[in-house]
Amino acid sequence: MSKGFQLMKGNEAIAEAALRAGCRFYAGYPITPQSEILEYMSANMADRGGVFIQGESEIASMSMLWGAAACGERVMTSSSGPGYDLKQEGISYLSSYNLPAVIIDVMRYGVGDGEITEGQDSYWLATRGGGHGDSRQLVLTPGSVQECAELTYEAFDLAEKYRTVVIILSDGGISQMIEKVVLPEPKEHDRSKFDWAIKGEKKKDEPKVKVTNLDRSMDYSAYDAMVRKKFSDMYHNEQRWENFMTEDAELILVAYGISSRICKSAVRRAREAGMKLGLIRPITAWPYPKKAFENLPEGLKGLVTVEMSLSSQMGLDIRLATEYKVPLYGYLTSKYVPTTQGIVDFCKGVLAGDVKELEVY
Amino acid sequence: MAAKMTKPEMINQQVGWCPGCGHGIIQRLIAECCEELGLCEKTIQVVDIACAYWSIDTLNCDGIAGPHGRCAAVATAIKKVYPDSNVYVHAGDGCSYVIGLSETCYAAQRNVPITMIVVNNGIFGMTGGQMCPATTLVGDKTVSSKKGRDDKVAGEPFDMLNILQNYKIAYAARGSLCDPKHIDQTKKMLKKGFENQRDKKGFSIIEILSPCPTNWKLSPADAMKKMKEENEKVFPVKVYVDNGGDE
Repeated sequence: MSKGFQLMKGNEAIAEAALRAGCRFYAGYPITPQSEILEYMSANMADRGGVFIQGESEIASMSMLWGAAACGERVMTSSSGPGYDLKQEGISYLSSYNLPAVIIDVMRYGVGDGEITEGQDSYWLATRGGGHGDSRQLVLTPGSVQECAELTYEAFDLAEKYRTVVIILSDGGISQMIEKVVLPEPKEHDRSKFDWAIKGEKKKDEPKVKVTNLDRSMDYSAYDAMVRKKFSDMYHNEQRWENFMTEDAELILVAYGISSRICKSAVRRAREAGMKLGLIRPITAWPYPKKAFENLPEGLKGLVTVEMSLSSQMGLDIRLATEYKVPLYGYLTSKYVPTTQGIVDFCKGVLAGDVKELEVY
Repeated sequence: MAAKMTKPEMINQQVGWCPGCGHGIIQRLIAECCEELGLCEKTIQVVDIACAYWSIDTLNCDGIAGPHGRCAAVATAIKKVYPDSNVYVHAGDGCSYVIGLSETCYAAQRNVPITMIVVNNGIFGMTGGQMCPATTLVGDKTVSSKKGRDDKVAGEPFDMLNILQNYKIAYAARGSLCDPKHIDQTKKMLKKGFENQRDKKGFSIIEILSPCPTNWKLSPADAMKKMKEENEKVFPVKVYVDNGGDE
């Protein structure tokens, strides 16, 4: 790691970490609140010997990613809200040939055009397999500018390890805030090392690569087995989370991204008043960290999902992770960032028996 | 003694198109051009997921098919990653002028030095012969314009090369497969497109009028006749742009 820190926006940390990870192709389309990523790439990509394209649309940008990823290049794009909708076609294609790529979704709140400010209601879109067909993508959720850098940097390695799309699920809060960050060391990527990638030149008798909707170097049953194993490996090996004061908690908050930061404050404030709160902070949203819920403290009265959504989206994953056995409550703040006191007061109500359990559907 | 007909070495297996289809001729012309220019080892094919897709297994080069309509964007990216490669697009009029109109325009607008080959057969072939908004002639019957294309409802076809000639590009031309003379002329156009790419001169687009007897519901010979007598009236065979672009 580099010595010393600097102050950066979350979006800038994502972009710089990507460049340091060897990302040499970026195509994207501006949309708030992620445009700093595109702007940073426009200013810095050429100096690192890479390609930056401001695409004519999100769809075209994704198709460019498909082409560049097929060449073995480390590739990235970024979007938000309605723009991220348009990425789905490309995610499905990238997943069909198992091409590595990193896609940043800086969530903004609302349906349709919604708001340009932070939200957490695109969770389902990011975690349920992008686009049509049965696919899974790793989904990482940074909770700080430091994690924006670290998770993005690692995302490129994970993408290649599993030959998968990796989604960084940030939000307007995390991406727009300025914090200290220690950036990772720059490294170079060798795009010529993959036997599945298109090359710029090949001898007549060398095997040729055909990048299509299935990997035609194998038959259907081998393809199915490979992909199933990949999903299973990712699910079992990549569950990540942070426990925060959960050992003796009587009520555990569950939150990621911007909400998780407020939750930490709420845990501290509640404990000052004698209420034992804790926090489970998922760092992977897919695979959802089921293991985090396996050894919950005795005497736990329930879980509280804290989300900037209208109805709960992550709540369903918590229900599945706990097999519907642990009482679950929802503190859902839609377009408003949750407040520390709001969370504490809600939890008081839960412990007093004044709050109904969360229904997920 | 008649000359022995041989196939270009670059074509490594039988093609899968319908009898009388023009795609196979185009495929052969592409292979001949790449061989004659010594570009086979550097060639990367970008094919659309419609009828052009059948060429992916028949050429001995790296290849990629992608989302329908996005060929120009895919080719743009590959050319940027491998500037010295020979990247060509083989796609239909639906891909290039309808769903992928924007991608085609912006590959031209960026003047990316690729060779884009657009097959104008006036129909959506792979999906079963629906009207192509860009190229089906007014009055032509298709499975989605059963009484003949009505311009009051579906508008008129348009000459995309007329539009693209306003961009700063290297080359735009339309060929036809209606007879051997025109096929030879089309090959020269294709060769020009590949030479421009080799010489880094900019974006080249070659549109080729090509018959689809299956969906036109005509015999191969009658399809050629219709193409010459009707389609070429709306889509003239000519060179629209030939300025070599800027370095």
